[in-house]
Amino acid sequence: MSTVTATPNHQPSWLPSGSAPALRAAPGWFMELQDKAELDYQQLGLPGVRDEQWRYTSLRALKSAELTFATGPLNEAQLPDSDLPRLVFVNGCFNALQSDLAGLPEGLLCTNLANALEHHADRLEKVLGTTLPDAAHGFQLLNSAYCRDGYVLFVEQGTIIDTPIEVIFQNDAGVASHCRNLVVADANSQCTIIERHSSTQPENSHDVYLSNCLTEVVAGQGAHVDHYKLQSESTEAFHLGGIFIDQANSAHVTSHNIGLSGKLLRNDVIARLNGSGSHIEMNGLVLGSDQEHMDNHTEVVHAVPNCTSDEFYKTVLDDHSRSVFRGRIIVAQDAQQTNADQQNNNLLLSPDAEADTKPQLEIYADDVKCSHGATVGQLEQKSLFYLQSRGINLEAARALLTFAFANEVVERIKVDSIKQELTQLIAGELMNDIEGVL
Amino acid sequence: MLKVQDLHVSVFGTPILKGLSLEVNPGEVHAIMGPNGSGKSTLSNVIAGRDGYEVTSGSIEYIGKDLTELEADERACEGIFLAFQYPVEIPGVSNMAMLKAAVNSMRKYRGEDEMSAAEFLQLIKKKAELVQMKQEFLKRSVNEGFSGGEKKRNEILQMAMLEPTLALLDETDSGLDIDALKVVADGVNALRSPERSMVVVTHYQRLLDYIVPDHVHVLANGQIVKSGDKSLALELEERGYGWIEDEVSGLQEAS
Repeated sequence: MSTVTATPNHQPSWLPSGSAPALRAAPGWFMELQDKAELDYQQLGLPGVRDEQWRYTSLRALKSAELTFATGPLNEAQLPDSDLPRLVFVNGCFNALQSDLAGLPEGLLCTNLANALEHHADRLEKVLGTTLPDAAHGFQLLNSAYCRDGYVLFVEQGTIIDTPIEVIFQNDAGVASHCRNLVVADANSQCTIIERHSSTQPENSHDVYLSNCLTEVVAGQGAHVDHYKLQSESTEAFHLGGIFIDQANSAHVTSHNIGLSGKLLRNDVIARLNGSGSHIEMNGLVLGSDQEHMDNHTEVVHAVPNCTSDEFYKTVLDDHSRSVFRGRIIVAQDAQQTNADQQNNNLLLSPDAEADTKPQLEIYADDVKCSHGATVGQLEQKSLFYLQSRGINLEAARALLTFAFANEVVERIKVDSIKQELTQLIAGELMNDIEGVL
Repeated sequence: MLKVQDLHVSVFGTPILKGLSLEVNPGEVHAIMGPNGSGKSTLSNVIAGRDGYEVTSGSIEYIGKDLTELEADERACEGIFLAFQYPVEIPGVSNMAMLKAAVNSMRKYRGEDEMSAAEFLQLIKKKAELVQMKQEFLKRSVNEGFSGGEKKRNEILQMAMLEPTLALLDETDSGLDIDALKVVADGVNALRSPERSMVVVTHYQRLLDYIVPDHVHVLANGQIVKSGDKSLALELEERGYGWIEDEVSGLQEAS
């Protein structure tokens, strides 16, 4: 790996200085990929508010944060109470001792990136990095340049994994980590992945760290992939995320993108429907409070005919929190018989909260059905009075209505245990006054 | 039980009630009738504690308490129930969830333990029968996609669950066909008891064929201008409201 020879003044402190720690036994093509990304980054730098896609997102605090490039796990992860097969990453590095993949069926490769680069480099070479946008932004380039680990899942043709695979990402205070994940689901295979992002010290919710974590999903013909991303980062943490999905014929992918806490959460979710009959469902939920800032930039590319997309993002903002939603749908000239729907509903609980929403439809075909809707609103007085007139106090009435709003996204979750957990998680945040209702 | 004295109420700055007095004793059913715009709904809403309904003078006393000191939810916990003229649709909150929250909120207010899920389920099934409501309606979002009749039946179901001391029925007959009206009236009648009082606000006498009142009051121009027994309602049905308005304006001129 090459070194950053001349760091311009405006570069943040948390880029690797001198030589970044080299990966053991990484193949030549991977080192080239990293070198190229590093050079590209040096040309481009980090985005700023002058970039259209970052207009509403201040990166000032992140750029000046005192962080160090992660070189390994310090603390252990605090594991959730579940017995799912799991992979654990602390500070962007694999923690083998805490990982447990017992119970997975035959017909798949589930491991960490560093290991896959050493033992399965040829399988990786064909796909790693292929789903990233052509015009990647600075953080995505940084991830390509400096990723050292992440999870890798190859599901072979026809293999059906009933059990969700859980991936834990946790970071220590003061760390900048860059994980790269890859899911390759071959024809007619099925899998479910649950990503959980948080601090290693959940009891100290003020840890400052950067998690720059990208996931690539390549879904083969007729494959079903359900991807869940739960972000409960520390309230001072920065999370820059990306989910990039390429779909072949009749592939069916669902992305659930849930932002629960973090100083700055930003996700780019991009799906390319490259095969006829493929379907993408994008579900998103943002719950912002205090000074939190949560962004989701989604893009669905209908490249071929007869594909469907269904996008449903909801945002609840309290206090001084802010959110940005950008939903881009591109229907290529050939992509006739496209059916695309996009909804973004924002609920403001405080006069100081701000939601920016921007649907962007670019339709070049003439026989398509595309619909979109964006709303920003408050809780309705008449609904609050109705509940109050039934003996429910104002605070609980607000919580009940807010929960109802958010719950429409949770209802779309297919794995019951996650649905219940999320219901309780969200209810816990919102509904202390009406415990036992659900 | 309820003592309203010389009540003046403004709704978002506009005076609507102009010196209304009304006394309701335990077990009594009072009908409030009157032409559109006379202030009937204002009376029920101000008793229930709706925002924007400002008491500018006079008093509302309920079981010895000054109601204007209490929030809407506290009034409900004290036993006041308003059956809405236009029940509100609440997508995403099931009938069950709302009623469970309501029942337990009231229990908490009274210092009682929460009702267990099994107990609650048993109770709501029993009460749903009272208004002939199918169980699937209990799981559906509150009033969402309900017909007019279903919404009104749902109001009575809620009333049956919450067992109020004072029930205010605001134009409960509006939008109901005769069959639905009978179901609603049967539900209401089943809830009549010597301890429970009701104030039935209606434009038409029709409802009072089924829910027979002890007292009938005519509201005009923000005041009760005439009171009587159930025969007054029949007289109104026959002669309309015009003669009362004439009588009142005659009186005002005379004074």
